[in-house]
Amino acid sequence: MKIDDQKIRNIGISAHIDSGKTTLTERILYYTKRIHAIHDVKGKDGVGATMDSMDLEKERGITIASAATYCEWKGHEVNIIDTPGHVDFTIEVERSLRVLDGAILVLCAVGGVQSQSITVDRQMKRYRVPCIAFINKCDRSGANPFRVMSQLKSKLGHNAVAMQIPIGLENDVQGVVDLVSMKALYFDGDNGETVREAEIPSHLLEEAKAKREELIDAASMFSDELTEAILEEKEVSADLIYSALRKGTLQREITPVYLGSAYKNKGVQPMLDGVTYLLPCPSDIENVAIDMDKNEETVVLNNDTEKPIVALVFKLEDGQYGQLTYIRVYQGTLAKGSTIVNVRTGKKVKVGRLVRMHADQMEDVESLRAGYIGALFGIECSSGDTFTSPDVNLTMISMYVPKPVISLAIVPKDNKSQVAMAKALNRFAKEDPTFKTYVDHETGDTIIEGMGELHLDIYVERMRREYGADVSTGNPRVAYRETITQRADFNYTHKKQTGGAGQFGRVAGYLEPIADTDFVFENKIFGGAIPSQYIAACEKGFKQSMAKGPKLEFPVTGVKVVINDGASHAVDSSDMAFQAAARGAFKEAYLRAKPVIHEPIMKVVVETPAEFQGSVMGLLNQRRGMIIGSQDEDVMCVIEAQVPLAEMFGFSTVLRSATQGKAQFTMEFTLYRQVPQSIAEKIALEAAQNKKTAA
Amino acid sequence: MIKKEMIYRNPLVKLGYDNEDILSTGGFGAVLAYAGVGKTALLVQLALNMMLREHSVLHVSLNDAVSKVDLWYQEIFHDIAEKFGIAEVNEYWDKIQPYRFIMTFKVEGFSAPKLEERLTDLMEQNIFKPHTVIIDGFRFDEAGRGQLVQLKELAGKYSMGLWFTVHTHRHEPPQENGLPLSFLHIADLFEVIVQLATKGDEVYITSVKGQPKNSAQNDLLLDPATMLIKESQ
Repeated sequence: MKIDDQKIRNIGISAHIDSGKTTLTERILYYTKRIHAIHDVKGKDGVGATMDSMDLEKERGITIASAATYCEWKGHEVNIIDTPGHVDFTIEVERSLRVLDGAILVLCAVGGVQSQSITVDRQMKRYRVPCIAFINKCDRSGANPFRVMSQLKSKLGHNAVAMQIPIGLENDVQGVVDLVSMKALYFDGDNGETVREAEIPSHLLEEAKAKREELIDAASMFSDELTEAILEEKEVSADLIYSALRKGTLQREITPVYLGSAYKNKGVQPMLDGVTYLLPCPSDIENVAIDMDKNEETVVLNNDTEKPIVALVFKLEDGQYGQLTYIRVYQGTLAKGSTIVNVRTGKKVKVGRLVRMHADQMEDVESLRAGYIGALFGIECSSGDTFTSPDVNLTMISMYVPKPVISLAIVPKDNKSQVAMAKALNRFAKEDPTFKTYVDHETGDTIIEGMGELHLDIYVERMRREYGADVSTGNPRVAYRETITQRADFNYTHKKQTGGAGQFGRVAGYLEPIADTDFVFENKIFGGAIPSQYIAACEKGFKQSMAKGPKLEFPVTGVKVVINDGASHAVDSSDMAFQAAARGAFKEAYLRAKPVIHEPIMKVVVETPAEFQGSVMGLLNQRRGMIIGSQDEDVMCVIEAQVPLAEMFGFSTVLRSATQGKAQFTMEFTLYRQVPQSIAEKIALEAAQNKKTAA
Repeated sequence: MIKKEMIYRNPLVKLGYDNEDILSTGGFGAVLAYAGVGKTALLVQLALNMMLREHSVLHVSLNDAVSKVDLWYQEIFHDIAEKFGIAEVNEYWDKIQPYRFIMTFKVEGFSAPKLEERLTDLMEQNIFKPHTVIIDGFRFDEAGRGQLVQLKELAGKYSMGLWFTVHTHRHEPPQENGLPLSFLHIADLFEVIVQLATKGDEVYITSVKGQPKNSAQNDLLLDPATMLIKESQ
């Protein structure tokens, strides 16, 4: 394995549906000789490239869109990491963006910057991923790469600068003029595999000179040396231009733009050159971890191969040999036979088989050094886990896993779907710690739980697409909770004498509200009023009662139970009797402790063009939202609000229609807050109805 | 109880500004200090005071993000209320939070017409109507008098009081009336001006303009953590 860090590129291809991501990926793999034939993506019926790629994968038995595909280009090792196409903000998206060092933003020469591209771009901005752009589909009628470039500037705020100009457009697409080398590039051979350099056609020479001037001007902002060379009217070398552009690209201050048509085999190789010249290598990017031993302080990781290992699991895949765990090493060297610790579980594991993924095969390797991406076999873990050397306790992502706030019943249509669904659910739960699943014993339904409507929608869709599980879904339900607001005493005797052994137990004490925790049990009994062997049974009885509140049968949280007196019987007392007594006591005191319903409140952040700010605020306000604030950012504006989850169903549709599809929002759970009286009554009514229907 | 504590320890009231709101409708107030002395903290405290009295406060920040401004409020509120039970503090926080709205702008993008545009968005839909506006980070040296006059008109039109933070510089010695030279040409627009200054580790608040004549004290020692009057006083 080569060890020159400067020659590694971990990149993602970011594109919206139907901009040609699959075709481009396919061509990259072909030109880098990872695959040996080109198959066209068929069936352009508007379903989009994601579907196309899935079908293609099945048909050919390879994983084009595998989590990380490795290829080589001109001495550089390029890992292409799959960037999830869906737009919402889930843990999975966050993870894949974390393992990227740079990206290619693919745009359609006809469609230009559409709202989906805005979303994709914003994700990259959020994670400060440096990128170059590729304007694809220059062969289509209506293609206008310069219009797309100006949209890149005006709509996305990129400092876009052309690296090339097209030689012919639409039907006449022939090649490109490279503005750095000032050569015309043509793509010969059946599949455009031979790049031929030639003189610039005379009718394009003037335009090329003017555009080169613009390019050098933009690049000179990042290099004094280049500025000097221009001022002194010296020869400006290609290296000088590239190094200035690279500096700007890494700071996200400039976006070099390549063009072509992947479908017509034009312009892909120069773009790959661009990846190697302009996008960052692992050591150009600062990665941080959280030190669990030092109060979650952030630690900057070093790309040093000698330091302790820190590696992140970013994707799991089911392969024919079991679970394949994709991992990126951020620090140290992960070698076969070394011992690593899963920071989440604390379990030590020995590294067995270590591989690097190619498009259709894998290569066994002895070690993976910092900056590399590979896969492990036979390691039991979840996606998002961090593995480290035993002597450090660092984690790449926060260990806090919020509790699910929304649930949905899912029913498989037939037996085959049932099997597929079980398999899918098992996988998803491993991939995403915020996704949970269980069977409701009362209704027999399978329930999935997650962090929002979109979050669950994505998994249901994935179940259908990836696992072929045909499932129908019920209405989403919000995870309400009950809690008490004041202290209430109890003194309850459980007595039964109906033949056989009797049951006797008395418990006395009080309930009181407690913040920041679900349940606390305190034993203040002195002198053995309840024999110590029954105390655990009392605690169990109270805990059981917490699962379903006596008010509306929602789980109860924030209760402290104190027992300070009681009584027992030498013969009739038992664990069972004290459990029953505790349940009775809880019921007795609970309603006097003024129970209230709490609902999950979401932090909603809407990014919208400023002209829609008023209407977006109106929408949030109508949904019982409390707007925390608004942030003006040039043409865009970010509105932050706290909105009850129950009011957020269908918000994406409403938001889209109110903003011509130009706004997007993210939503995450923030806290539980008491439901206003009028709403509480409504919820009580609904709960009663549901109970009736279930009965 | 929290409300009482907060009003009791309000340094501006202690300085003798007897009107609870301190500013009259449409009036301007300013807090002058060097960087890092606690202008924002003092105004956040003033805002919390208003919120406890159920007056709406619009906090306009030209430096910080919404989340950071929000953090200022949460921290100062929790500092003040630390001796009370957590449940009571949280309940109070939930109660007063709707009386606050944070807006942030890039300094160069902020102007009176822009603020008015945003305000009408809020007011027309009955989302928020501010009683007091805090403008943190306004560049007095660059903006000139014209902008302030426009803002003054806005304050009068919507019956609001406007508070500003004014960043003073060490290289600019105060004039006879205690104001920096660069502030003199606009000082007449302000009805209340207070200044924060440090002596060693301690922070003092001094009234520069607008203090009633019969007030007993001219300056007060503040707790640098909360910008409230030190309990010993």
